[in-house]
Amino acid sequence: MSGKSFGEDEPDMNRIPFNIRLVLPAQLTIMAIVVVPTVILLWLAHTDWQPTQNIPWFDAEFYWFWNFYDLWYDERFINSVFRTLFVVLVCIAAELFLALGLALLFLDEWPWRKVAVSIIILPMMIIPVDAANAFFMLFNERGPVNHLITVVTGDVFEFSWLSHPTWAMVPIMLAEIWQWTPLMFLLVLTGLMNLPENQIRAAIGLGASPARIFFRVMLPLLVPVISIAIVIRAIETFKIFDPVYILTRGQPGGATETISMYMYNGAFVYFRMGYIAAAALLVLFVVVSICLVLSKPLRKHG
Amino acid sequence: MRQQKTWQTVLKRTAVIVAAVFAFFPIYWLISTSFKPFDEWANWPPIWLTDNPTLQNYRIVFFPDLAREFAAQQDGSLDYKVSGSAWNAFKGSAIVSVAATIISVAFGTLAAYSIVRFKTGGKNYPFQFLTVRMVPPIAVVVPMVVLFSILKLSDTYFGLILAYSAFTLPFSIWMIRSFIDDVPAELEGAAMIHGMGQFRAFLTVTLPLVKGGILSTALFIFILNWSEFLFALVLTAGNVVTVTLQVANYVSASSGKLYGVQAAMGTISTLPVIIFGYMIQRHIVRGLTFGAIKR
Repeated sequence: MSGKSFGEDEPDMNRIPFNIRLVLPAQLTIMAIVVVPTVILLWLAHTDWQPTQNIPWFDAEFYWFWNFYDLWYDERFINSVFRTLFVVLVCIAAELFLALGLALLFLDEWPWRKVAVSIIILPMMIIPVDAANAFFMLFNERGPVNHLITVVTGDVFEFSWLSHPTWAMVPIMLAEIWQWTPLMFLLVLTGLMNLPENQIRAAIGLGASPARIFFRVMLPLLVPVISIAIVIRAIETFKIFDPVYILTRGQPGGATETISMYMYNGAFVYFRMGYIAAAALLVLFVVVSICLVLSKPLRKHG
Repeated sequence: MRQQKTWQTVLKRTAVIVAAVFAFFPIYWLISTSFKPFDEWANWPPIWLTDNPTLQNYRIVFFPDLAREFAAQQDGSLDYKVSGSAWNAFKGSAIVSVAATIISVAFGTLAAYSIVRFKTGGKNYPFQFLTVRMVPPIAVVVPMVVLFSILKLSDTYFGLILAYSAFTLPFSIWMIRSFIDDVPAELEGAAMIHGMGQFRAFLTVTLPLVKGGILSTALFIFILNWSEFLFALVLTAGNVVTVTLQVANYVSASSGKLYGVQAAMGTISTLPVIIFGYMIQRHIVRGLTFGAIKR
């Protein structure tokens, strides 16, 4: 009899194949923290839950699809979406352009090369919140950026970057570009160093000009690396939150809100949890679908 | 011809120096501001290099009583949230980051081993971990707040550790996978011929070979955890404080007035990350590309 009570525990575990048991801890952690919340999100997105009304989340009024209807006409939300896409586009273009230019400077061996690389990649080693903190000081009314402009133009320039609805995006995007160009640079440099040398030598031997070699030989060979870099940076930049929170919190009047900042303000400043859950669900759906398409280059490479 | 070559080199080196200045300047400003006495914080014209360096700001960061005294002296209300000492933030970040790193790397190693050697779940299985990384964390934060309040995990170390572990697991799994991939399976096969079980063969043959890789992964995950801000902001309420929260507190508290203090906190909070970052410089590309690009 006692053997049977033993048997109830043991085979249960043994019936799960060894390799499945190995992935179980990781899989369960992710289920608990990602999948369970997503299920809760499905419910919340169809309610009008606001914790300030003292109604528990499961008792919130069912709202059908009205949240999504409201989102469609919510100018602040739509603007934050386009602003985020704009930030992604500008930052990635700038990072890629700068990274390509920089990487070309590091093709040949020279003394201090390693030191120079180490200095140039310093920004990506900084905590993003601290990078934003530094830019907060640089772009203050009485910061060094305004001082430089004053020195160059000769007129006293005390522009308040961070409280201007349009220009506040400049420090935010610069912080992002400053911090992540080094990563793009490292990726492109790695790609350049791994290029098959004989093709380039052949091109040089045939008397091709440096520009021609770059555009016709190197760039096409770099496409796989660059596409991976763009996909990864696009995904990360799309989530942009830390610099926005530190620099402006989406102010003034939501003029610098990215999607993440909009949702943070909606959920934790205005406490419209149900409504923001709907926005979250929408973003989740769109991002996952896009990512399934975008992850193709990663898949091919892997 | 030779002349042209020299000119090109000079131009190239100058460009490198300009890039290095741009890369370093914000950090220089952070460090130099952290040593400025308080009457130089918001000077016009700004002071590029102070003549009277002081450790005052660092003292305020670590001894908040000093900060309170300082705030009392200022006219007008300094809406400051500097009641917590930075020690507290460092303690919180250390506990959460170390624990979450250990969990993430341990679970990640097991999963990566299973994926590489057993092809668990087929070719597409590892990609479902990547989706976790693609989703903006803000999208799951609202229901996570709900879940954490049900489980009584809000504002606890354990809750934050759980969240960090889950969101760094994709990196652990993919990075360690790429390291294990580099070790030929035949080595384990040879050990198994000598009578070892498969898992023991992995532990005694492969694991020592990828030790360095796993350590780099751990440092990389630690950096991610130490730098994390959004979850710390949303899932805590004062009991658990991390360094990123402390930095944000100073920035918002000052509304542009406590420059020196926020610079001091910024400088020391980012120090461990910089050190670890340079230690794993070789592997950072591999990490941030999920092992897709190796060096």
